[in-house]
Amino acid sequence: MLIFAIVAPIFINSKLGLSNGSFISFLITVLFVEYILFNMISLQEDKYKGSALLCITPHTRNGVIKAKYVFILVIFIACFLLYNLAAAIGASYGLTRLSIYSVGVALLIISVFFSILIPVQTKFGYEKTKYIFFIMIFLTPFTLPTIIEWYQNNNIFNIDLPIPQSIKVWIPFVIAVLMASISMLISIRIFSKKNL
Amino acid sequence: MMKAVLEVNNLKKELGSFSLEQLTFSLKEGCITGFIGVNGSGKTTTIKTILGLYPKDDGSIKFFGKEIEKNEYEIKNRIGVVLDEGYFYEEMTLREMKSIIAPAYTNWDESVFLNYINRFNLKLDQKIATLSKGMRMKFAITLALSHHADLLIMDEPTSGLDPLIRNELMEILLDFMEEEGKSVFFSTHITSDLEKVADMLILIDNGEIVFNESKDELLERHALIKGDNSLINEHSTKLFLRLRQTPFGFQGITNKVDQVCEQMKDIIIERPTIEDVMLAYVKEG
Repeated sequence: MLIFAIVAPIFINSKLGLSNGSFISFLITVLFVEYILFNMISLQEDKYKGSALLCITPHTRNGVIKAKYVFILVIFIACFLLYNLAAAIGASYGLTRLSIYSVGVALLIISVFFSILIPVQTKFGYEKTKYIFFIMIFLTPFTLPTIIEWYQNNNIFNIDLPIPQSIKVWIPFVIAVLMASISMLISIRIFSKKNL
Repeated sequence: MMKAVLEVNNLKKELGSFSLEQLTFSLKEGCITGFIGVNGSGKTTTIKTILGLYPKDDGSIKFFGKEIEKNEYEIKNRIGVVLDEGYFYEEMTLREMKSIIAPAYTNWDESVFLNYINRFNLKLDQKIATLSKGMRMKFAITLALSHHADLLIMDEPTSGLDPLIRNELMEILLDFMEEEGKSVFFSTHITSDLEKVADMLILIDNGEIVFNESKDELLERHALIKGDNSLINEHSTKLFLRLRQTPFGFQGITNKVDQVCEQMKDIIIERPTIEDVMLAYVKEG
């Protein structure tokens, strides 16, 4: 997975040949790494009822849910660091360093995705959720670049707000954290009523 | 007077077509309490509900005099749990599994953990999937006892184990109880395990508590009566909780020992086993 996180952005960028290919490469890589790792853990948890084991220890139900969101954030940070390594290696392939704004937008998209996935999985369990999201995730390499390009061309993320640019670049981060927090509260609420 | 380590009051939990109805019982400090009942009587549901694995519908659960909902962290640090299915991540080694569980406890004692590992001849680098059922149970007990728990809760720990390992488990429980202030709550449908070690017995049937009393008093209060079929009539049948007749005679469990002795002559009176008493109270079907 470590090698994938470094090689994938270089490969995707070289194949896409877009002007903003670096961002899309990073986003697709992060989405894949996060989804695969998260699902691997969910599978183990579903198979061995891991959350029941954790909840008989002083680990609380809230803690189990919070850990899932923290896990996503930690993997995102790790992917970002590995992407920078890939950018250093793959500079000749046109892979460039990302701006704070681009990282924020990537985090926002990841946040939206997992803010839906985690509560749905908490409610319906791993098996039922797996099928819905497998289809969605395998459609992303085909649909996401087009959607993002369309959004950027139409300046959707560049709404003219009367705030300084230095603050504006942080807006995606704020929205991402806000969404994740709301999603976490929903997941905690669902999980508190679940029979383990 | 002994303190209560667990007090359950009017506990209600619906689970599909099954439900626990207004369950009320308590566990005394310094006692091994056997939680008995046939399969499907509600033992696991009760244990999972008091541990918070199943959210309760109503009622109160207090450990060491404190509500579990408000003092979850503190209480769970003082209890050790062994569940029937183990719930371990099978692909992990014992060491890896321990590294997940241990940080959760503020008073985890690595030396106690290693002592049990050596005592049970467990290998820390062995994968959990390769452990036998007996070894798995010993590992579960090791994890449950390595943080100086005051109350050990076990759900069917002897189910599927051979008599030798079951006996070993009873020895472990007696060792655990040697330290002051320790208590055990232990569910089983193999009542012979409790004959040697239990101080108190709680019988659950169809989601309701049938009795909660000292093992010795319970066995003292009941008797196994054997005799000739000619002694059985409409009136004497009512003296028995459970009565079985064969062409060779009858055998029945009674809680009216004095009346039986008065009214029936030439009978054999024996001390019943826990299983005899349990089956006398369990509704068939």
